[in-house]
Amino acid sequence: MSESKKLVDKVLDIYPAKVMKNRKSHMVIKDASVKQEIAANTRAIPGIITNRGCAYAGCKGVVIGPIVDMVHIVHGPVGCSYYAWGTRRNKGKAREGGQNFLEYAFTTDMQESDIVFGGEKKLKAAIDEAVELFHPKAISISATCPVGLIGDDIHAIARDKSKEHGLKILAFSCEGYKGVSQSAGHHIANNKLMTDVIGTIDTPAKEFSINLLGEYNIGGDEWEIARVLTKIGYNIISTMTGNGAIDEIANAHKADLNVIQCHRSINYVAEMVETKYGLPWIKVNFIGVEGFSKALRDMAKYFDDPALTARTEAVIAEETASIEEEMATYKALLDGKTAVLFVGGSRAHHYQGLLREIGIETIVAGYEFGHRDDYEGRDVIPYIKVDADSRNIEEIHVEKDEKKYSLRIPASRAEQLKNEIPWASYDGLLSEMKDGTLVIDDLNHIETEQIIKILKPEFFGSGIKDKYMVQKMGVYAKQMHSYDYSGPYAGYQGAVNFSRDVAAGILTPAWKYITAPWYKEPLLSGKVEGVEQVC
Amino acid sequence: MIKVIKPDTDNATKKAVKALMTEIHRDDSKDRNKDRNKDRNKDRNYVNMQVNPCKMCMPMGGALALKGVKNAMTIIHGSQGCSTYIRRHMAAHYNEPIDIASSSLSEEGTVYGGSKNLKIGIRNLVNMYQPEVVGVLTTCLAETIGDDIERIVREVRDTGEFEGIDIIPIPTPGYGGSQTEGYFDTIKALMAYFVKKPIQVQKETEETKTPFINIVLSDATCEDVREIKRMVELFGVKALFIPDISDALDAPFTNHYNKLSEEGISREELAKVIYAKATIELGDLVAPNHSPALFLEEEYGVKAYRLPLPIGINNTDCLVKALAEVLDKDIPKALEVERGRLMDGMIDAHKHSATGDIAVFGDMNLVMGIAGLVLENGMQLKLAATGSMSKRFKEQLESKLDQYQQKAEILQDTDYETIREVIQLKGVNLMMGPSDGKFIWEKDHVDFIRVGFPVHDHVGAQRKNIMGYKGSLIFLDEITNHLLDQKHKGYRERMYQTYYPKKESHKPIQTDEAAR
Repeated sequence: MSESKKLVDKVLDIYPAKVMKNRKSHMVIKDASVKQEIAANTRAIPGIITNRGCAYAGCKGVVIGPIVDMVHIVHGPVGCSYYAWGTRRNKGKAREGGQNFLEYAFTTDMQESDIVFGGEKKLKAAIDEAVELFHPKAISISATCPVGLIGDDIHAIARDKSKEHGLKILAFSCEGYKGVSQSAGHHIANNKLMTDVIGTIDTPAKEFSINLLGEYNIGGDEWEIARVLTKIGYNIISTMTGNGAIDEIANAHKADLNVIQCHRSINYVAEMVETKYGLPWIKVNFIGVEGFSKALRDMAKYFDDPALTARTEAVIAEETASIEEEMATYKALLDGKTAVLFVGGSRAHHYQGLLREIGIETIVAGYEFGHRDDYEGRDVIPYIKVDADSRNIEEIHVEKDEKKYSLRIPASRAEQLKNEIPWASYDGLLSEMKDGTLVIDDLNHIETEQIIKILKPEFFGSGIKDKYMVQKMGVYAKQMHSYDYSGPYAGYQGAVNFSRDVAAGILTPAWKYITAPWYKEPLLSGKVEGVEQVC
Repeated sequence: MIKVIKPDTDNATKKAVKALMTEIHRDDSKDRNKDRNKDRNKDRNYVNMQVNPCKMCMPMGGALALKGVKNAMTIIHGSQGCSTYIRRHMAAHYNEPIDIASSSLSEEGTVYGGSKNLKIGIRNLVNMYQPEVVGVLTTCLAETIGDDIERIVREVRDTGEFEGIDIIPIPTPGYGGSQTEGYFDTIKALMAYFVKKPIQVQKETEETKTPFINIVLSDATCEDVREIKRMVELFGVKALFIPDISDALDAPFTNHYNKLSEEGISREELAKVIYAKATIELGDLVAPNHSPALFLEEEYGVKAYRLPLPIGINNTDCLVKALAEVLDKDIPKALEVERGRLMDGMIDAHKHSATGDIAVFGDMNLVMGIAGLVLENGMQLKLAATGSMSKRFKEQLESKLDQYQQKAEILQDTDYETIREVIQLKGVNLMMGPSDGKFIWEKDHVDFIRVGFPVHDHVGAQRKNIMGYKGSLIFLDEITNHLLDQKHKGYRERMYQTYYPKKESHKPIQTDEAAR
């Protein structure tokens, strides 16, 4: 407790009064005995070096970009398309006879004249070119900052061109300035998936059909998860959106259960799908051995099929036995170390269990773009004050689809299950934290420096933007948005990969040589057979 | 076991040997002729769409230039994403902290003007970091809503709150050009600002009396900057690098992390650029209105030399000659020795390097420099491509190709989709450029040397030395070794396939490319 308190005081002391008041509300020292509240999803302070991105990053970069068989056209000047090109290392495979455009970046590369005279003509022609030459299943148009301002009507263009070419064209008004972070872009993307994609194809689903929501197949996570789920007997109708395919997402409403990995980026779809099609969702955590096993057991409980439950237990037993020894090795190496996690809208929570399994305790955690419900749990949603920035993001309301709606499970059984599994519920990150640990929302550069100086953790899990400052201070920092070109980290095999990488990072001999020997010991260390030995 | 072949055994074998030698030496004059006749007539396959862009936007170049200024911080006036994306890309390349602030423009700021956000942003940045210099870069958003950053910054200065801090507005609209123009414009803006500062009028101090030159160097790694600096110092003269990223973006581990970089050119140094004997601008392809050297010449009479990047013997000779002329000094012995060593290496390597069918892509100045090295070493330049729009790039390369009697595809304002197609078409066996070429490398298995910016899937790009005599030789050796490895790889199998099977079952020779 005292360490966390010391840190908070020190950090707040640096700030001018106004900034101090603002930042204070984004910090909470966990105390389980009271109901705690944290400020989140509010505007970042200008000039403070935040790690947050923009709405475009959340829409195209996170949610829409990983759909493999779409041509994702970024309408705007060249930079935004270039910078979002394959950068999260989402993996994807072409379906049989299908295509995979993940390694492409498409942009209209607007020039000054397009800004002055409008870019609609160029966009229309770009769509024609894309259709003619790539024959994609569908196209997305993502607007960058200037587009909304100059009044290009991307939605009308999408409508007209969609008719003309006979394929889905989804337009996203995800101009970077919308909302306060990537989160706005998630919401914008979710809305369009709901209105234009999900429910447009009706292929009957087999038994034990599920959708994986909020799983982006970074470093191959989805493949490791799917490997185990398929072994148990699940049919994955669609993944939103890692390794996603547009027709599969269109058919998602035929599944019997939505399982949600990243609550922040996709909960809108989950909720709307439940309202419209009667398909319920549960919150899972595929990271960590215990986390994954619990998710599998919760899913089995939902389906309540003796054979499926038996297979679940058999697979859990087999898989955990195969990694037990290696995990124990890493635990022995890392036991007692501490971690700071600052990542995303879910990972700062999801990885705590896995870190604990290898003996690492998380002492500070926070999200870049989480909302209060991601910290405090979904119970807080009715009490969240909606500010102007959030109000500007369209909130769509769906109705029950009388033809396609069906209850998957009798209401009475559902009521019972709600007490047993995280049915449409999420307790948030705070629930995972130990008393006295610190939760910070929208961590910035100055605060990161203080955390490292005062708490001296052994592990800092974040992104590449703060990685090098942390390592300059002598602490191992791991990229957890894109996994430093490694992975998968989800599921059982992923747990081993992650633990191996963390052990390698923390225990690299390099840390021992930081101080040159002449600062630590006399230059000549002794004589061997009359020869002066210096090393 | 490999069967030993005597060249005179029989005709079929002779033919095969000839075919093999032809293959090894890649004497594809026929193909080259075909290439000569083929006129693609366009820079990009798709007119309205960039498919895998080969350029970035102006604020990226601006941010890079400001990283080479001492005790400076950058704030980008626009959405948070602009700052975040640029930080992300620079950090991945330099493996260094890249801390850039944002004015975090929201929808409200977009509608009512971003002045309030920017002012708060500058105030917070100054309060928390105490920089000496604040570079304010714009974005497409700020420019489209018409924010007048000159005025905003003037109002910020007029508050009197920021005495002693130099806040410099630099327009870098994302649609205004590529990162290259952003880089040069920022250097120009820095010079223009500091030379006009009233306190700098005190002329002829002790320091300004000591002769020095300005060097504006584009597309250089930190090691390249250090190397050119060393070369100039061999003349016994100091060079001001504007900017100087050498230690700022390749900082040694010190146990003390400084949020503010103390490396780079200082504002005092920036103020005295007008007293330099000359400005040597390395990388001469941006249009004259973007050139800092020409700006100093026109406004302050500082002689301007615009030269290609010192990559390869010819281009480095250019730099050395210019230095000798400007400084009126003899060429240092040490440089003669280094030139001789490069010469020696070129001659020794030629029998191998001549097998190179090369594609170069990326920043226009870098492509031009590397193309020079490729041509002077007798390699075949098959493709030179840049995403920037530049007629000069095309014109200069064409005259260079004529000089070596070669034909190559030259693309400006192009994209990687087109680059990939040309690489396939021309039978390239080695490509050079930034990491974005990795998709071609992965798909078509064309050998690849990563050079330029960004290189995010290899380490050490900030320390790679390809400039000066020394750097050129290191780079040439790397290229030659890649080509040698291509020969060595599969050599036994190739021989076996060619000679060992029975005569009647002679298969066409398997080259590495075909085997894939």
